Amino acid sequence: MKKKNMTVGKCFLWAVLVMMAVIQIFPLIWLVDFSLASSTEMFTSGLLIVPEKIQWGNYVKAFVDGHFLLYLKNSVLINVLAVVLVILISIMAAFACRRMHWRLSGLVKMLLLMGMMIPIHATLLPNYKMYSQLHMTDTIWALLIPYVAFSLPQGMFLMTSFMEAIPEEIEEAAVMDGCGIYRIVFQIITPLLKSSIVTVAIMTFLNNWNEFMMARTYLKTDTWKTLPFSVLEFTGQYSSNYAVQFAVMALTAAPAVIVYIVLNKHITKGVAMGAVKG
Amino acid sequence: MKKLYSNKLVIFTLVLPGLLAFLFAILAPICLSVYYGFTDYTGMGSLNFIGLANYKELVHDKAFWLSMRNSLFLALGFICIQHPIAIVVAAILDKLGGRGEGVFRCIYFIPNVISVAVIAYLWRFIYNPDFGLLNNIIKAFGGKGDTNWFGTDMAIWSVLIVLIWHGFGWGMLIYYTGIKNIDPVLYEAAAIDGASQKTIFLRITLPLMKPVIQVNVTMAVISALKQMETVYLLTNGGPNNQTQFAANYLYQQAFKAYKYGYGNAIGVVFIVICLVATVLLNWIFRDRSEVNPKIRRKRAVG
Repeated sequence: MKKKNMTVGKCFLWAVLVMMAVIQIFPLIWLVDFSLASSTEMFTSGLLIVPEKIQWGNYVKAFVDGHFLLYLKNSVLINVLAVVLVILISIMAAFACRRMHWRLSGLVKMLLLMGMMIPIHATLLPNYKMYSQLHMTDTIWALLIPYVAFSLPQGMFLMTSFMEAIPEEIEEAAVMDGCGIYRIVFQIITPLLKSSIVTVAIMTFLNNWNEFMMARTYLKTDTWKTLPFSVLEFTGQYSSNYAVQFAVMALTAAPAVIVYIVLNKHITKGVAMGAVKG
Repeated sequence: MKKLYSNKLVIFTLVLPGLLAFLFAILAPICLSVYYGFTDYTGMGSLNFIGLANYKELVHDKAFWLSMRNSLFLALGFICIQHPIAIVVAAILDKLGGRGEGVFRCIYFIPNVISVAVIAYLWRFIYNPDFGLLNNIIKAFGGKGDTNWFGTDMAIWSVLIVLIWHGFGWGMLIYYTGIKNIDPVLYEAAAIDGASQKTIFLRITLPLMKPVIQVNVTMAVISALKQMETVYLLTNGGPNNQTQFAANYLYQQAFKAYKYGYGNAIGVVFIVICLVATVLLNWIFRDRSEVNPKIRRKRAVG
């Protein structure tokens, strides 16, 4: 009797998991399904469509007219630069504030961490003004600087807490051998921070990859526009051709989803580490 | 060693890039906002100083208070709907474990890596009255399925559903990590004592998750305040500011209504609210964690 209860209970628990999974993933299946149909087939009352002919043409249109390659290239370039800069700057600042002896270290650390509390979107208006005065709108800097600045606090926070685990004896030995500070930071400390570098990289990527509010405010021409713009611009252009809009959404979502599925384990670990420490 | 580690020039070069980023992207814009907040600047042309007029207007601005109400709703939605489900699902996932664990975890998190731009437009289609998924599902279950999801009464709930759905995987993952960090010996001991699954969850899992829950609640409140991108694309605050959020509102005021000065005044108040909320939440939770060791000590003595 008890055993039977157990299996009923287990089935119920599985059902909960499956139901949540369906809720989370079904809209995306629906998206992909509709993106392969033609617009006329969409007005059904069924949940999914079985397209008469799979419309790959939707994706061709999305790929070409959505400037997919250009925007993807911009997104990758800007995000890689942002990640590298955040890692370098946060290691340097964390080392200076955590390990070195100076009076203002606490104050500077607090200032740098302040960015975590400031809402990004409150800086949109004044930054727009500032960048246009400095003729920086529509350049890569208009995105790179805020992306780095707003990911820095988190990076700095994580680096400081991981740095605490590194024994000072290692540095003492390095100093005995005549190592300068820069070599200690970049050749001795940095390699030891490998796992936290991965965490910071993942968090920075997740923060910035999908950002579009700043991009929309600070950019005018196509030169530096990032991937979300494929979707943003398309809805106006193809406002009545729904199927192509679905295709462009699926296409824009694809790179991040594929990378996530491939690196699933690392990303899960990174987010978990970042979130628990942060 | 000491001399090397207090070399002012080296320290300066190490913190300079970080400080520059902070000055240029965070501090300078805040100062500019404070400055423009005292003016009637429209975005072009000349400006006049009007003292506290913008702030006085803000106090009586219904749309701003609606946006605060909506942030409160969203925070409550996160804390009362998203987080309980996330904790329970995380606990079940941990318990059943096995081969499915990774797959489920992956599925739950996928919406999180998709751009808000895609999510917002996707949900606009899901809510579409003509061929939208949601109305079709309601029809499939025998309902009428002609709800206007972005009507005045429904709009804010429709927006909340999207935000709760989108952030679910993140919350789940953090709770899941927290549960994984619990020492399995405790579960074994409880099982030996004959505790039921429910008792184990309520008496062991939940209390030990307290610090994780506190961090998650703090983040939920802050992100509810900061919400902008999804709303900007989903409803842009409409209809009639029913789904307005502070960040979206200040953006609209500055770039659509040409009240750049007023937008900045909202920005200043918005920043202050976020700072106060963060400090307040940290203070509340710090207070409690200081109480905790005492309880533990008492138990140990008893």
